[in-house]
Amino acid sequence: MTASPAGGIDALCRFIQQACRADLVLAVEVDGTGRAVPAGASSVQAFGACNLQRSGLLDRSWATSPVPANDFRLPSAILHALNQPPASLLFVPTPVDHAPASGLLLLWADEAPPLSVIGELPLLGDSIARLLSARRDSVRQLAMRDQFSDLFESVPSGIVLIDGDGQGAMINERAGVLLGCDAGQHRAGKLADMMRRLRENCSNREELERAYAAHVSDVNFSASMHWTLGERTLEVTTHPVRGEGGEGRIWLFTDVTAELMMAAELRRLATSDPLTGVPNRRHFEERSAEILAARQAGSGHSVTVMMLDVDHFKRINDNYGHPAGDEVLKVVARRCREALRDRDLFARFGGEEFIALLASSVEDDLPAIAERVRAAIADEPVQLGDLSIPITVSIGTATAEVVKTLGSNLMDDLIGRADEALYQAKQGGRNRVMMARS
Amino acid sequence: MEFFRKLSGRRSGLGRQVAVLAHGFGTDQSAWSSLRPWFDARYDVISFDLAGCGARGAETYDFDRHGTIFGYADDLIDLIDEIDTQNIVYVGHSMSGMIGAAAACARPGLFDRLVMIGASPRYLNDGDYFGGFEQSDLDQLFDSMAANFQAWVAGFAPMVVGVPDNTTITDFSRTLCQMQPDIALNISRTIFSSDMRQTATRIRRPVHLIQTSADMAVPTAVGTWLANAIPGATLDVIDAAGHLPHMTAANEVQRILDSNLLAKAA
Repeated sequence: MTASPAGGIDALCRFIQQACRADLVLAVEVDGTGRAVPAGASSVQAFGACNLQRSGLLDRSWATSPVPANDFRLPSAILHALNQPPASLLFVPTPVDHAPASGLLLLWADEAPPLSVIGELPLLGDSIARLLSARRDSVRQLAMRDQFSDLFESVPSGIVLIDGDGQGAMINERAGVLLGCDAGQHRAGKLADMMRRLRENCSNREELERAYAAHVSDVNFSASMHWTLGERTLEVTTHPVRGEGGEGRIWLFTDVTAELMMAAELRRLATSDPLTGVPNRRHFEERSAEILAARQAGSGHSVTVMMLDVDHFKRINDNYGHPAGDEVLKVVARRCREALRDRDLFARFGGEEFIALLASSVEDDLPAIAERVRAAIADEPVQLGDLSIPITVSIGTATAEVVKTLGSNLMDDLIGRADEALYQAKQGGRNRVMMARS
Repeated sequence: MEFFRKLSGRRSGLGRQVAVLAHGFGTDQSAWSSLRPWFDARYDVISFDLAGCGARGAETYDFDRHGTIFGYADDLIDLIDEIDTQNIVYVGHSMSGMIGAAAACARPGLFDRLVMIGASPRYLNDGDYFGGFEQSDLDQLFDSMAANFQAWVAGFAPMVVGVPDNTTITDFSRTLCQMQPDIALNISRTIFSSDMRQTATRIRRPVHLIQTSADMAVPTAVGTWLANAIPGATLDVIDAAGHLPHMTAANEVQRILDSNLLAKAA
């Protein structure tokens, strides 16, 4: 076992105290401003920091023999430790880089005995200076370790830190909870097993497996992936940590479930119609463009747009009030959505108008689908409390072949034709479907 | 006058002998305003703000140097040396009692006599010694100081003042709140973890102890202990409550000063 530098200084002070028959020996670390921190002492008294600038110790050159003490102003803590005012004292400067005024202070309650060993003390100067430097390094390391552990435990992520030799590893509390073991030091292999087990519990384990397998022997590998663990999503980031040995690696586990849900909710709010909850026109335009682009990549497919308008909607608003009108729109949206197929894109186009892009419609099915939507609205009145409001819709559809060469105005063209057909349905008496001829 | 200025020193009075008035934790030198006229008529009066206290507390406080009572004693010695005087009358309230004790042990020649108001050499109970506090009491105190300083002041001030004297409670709350909370916490740790009993026994100057009969910080047993421990010390117990008798019972304190200081100085 190696003694700590501080313990070493204490021991040296005790030794000097006995050899020189002094009553108190102190090693003080003193910076350029006279600020003194006791680094060791021959007695167990605890000292605080003090200032020696006005003590008279620092501004004279020291020979090797003790001098009368009454010319000096010593800090009260030192006098307290000595128990009485000293009669003589000796200061042996032991300058170190960070504390150039450091030294060894010997105090005698009575006159110092004439011992030759006192004259030899300056020979110890270098050793004391070395001990003071070592003490400072260890104090610094300790402070850094404290800072590190504060940081390690205060970040809101689980941390697995694999040492540079690839053998040792340490984890913080959060990582411990996640992996099911205690925070602190572990073998790297054990933690790797625990992380693998966690990954195998993820619903996207195959995807993760493939992604990590590609980097299995790459020491420089960095990645950030989402691990889906039941309801939770962990963002797992890893990158190499350059250290001795070079195999160090850090893994950070951050629970991003709340952030992802928030982001999804924001996206939904941006793309849906607040009244009916179905997608809004902007979403329809974006999605339909994507769908058409995908269909253009293939060929021979046809697409159908269906426009739908609530008949005499103004009258509903006038007769029953706007809140009733809003309720009617909600019911219409819900019934349409249910009558359409899951893969059809449906949106509120504006006012009392709705729009659908029917997925890969087989033309033979189109009349049946459109009729199903019309009937879903007309067959049953909308119930609002005691009110029973009969509702009908008019529908216009238009179909086109998707050809590779077609420009981006295909959708505008389809909507225009469907709108025209809708107009005809209204003209023809409402509550009916009109299909534009292709 | 570097220290004098740094510690916001104030000098007044008509006398030749210097009297140094040192306030206690949570107040500043304004705590002496009731007694100051009495001193002004008789002494060359110096008051100052302890490091960490008063308007410039954040500048004067050093977390290392002032981590022990001895650091404060060094401040006091520096201040007296700077004024270049000796044989002073020192009046210290609360923590300044033991600050004066440490300074008087280190430099007996600076002091003629000391008056300690509500002083305690150790707040923690220790075997036969009754300081009035258990470690758990102190932990609770430190926790509530750290948790919400303002709220702590609101509860602590009336308790320490000990009598329904609204002016003093308001003044004490104001000077408490004037302290930076982390400094206040550190000072109270320094005070409550101090053990100055050995220092007290080594004082070789005349000491007059004054305390009230119901002081939440200093049980009467502490005054008795000090009176027995300090050779030749006198003890006056004012039949009143509170830790700040120089503010809440100034007439009583003045009467005691009359009979102790003036009689003996004559």
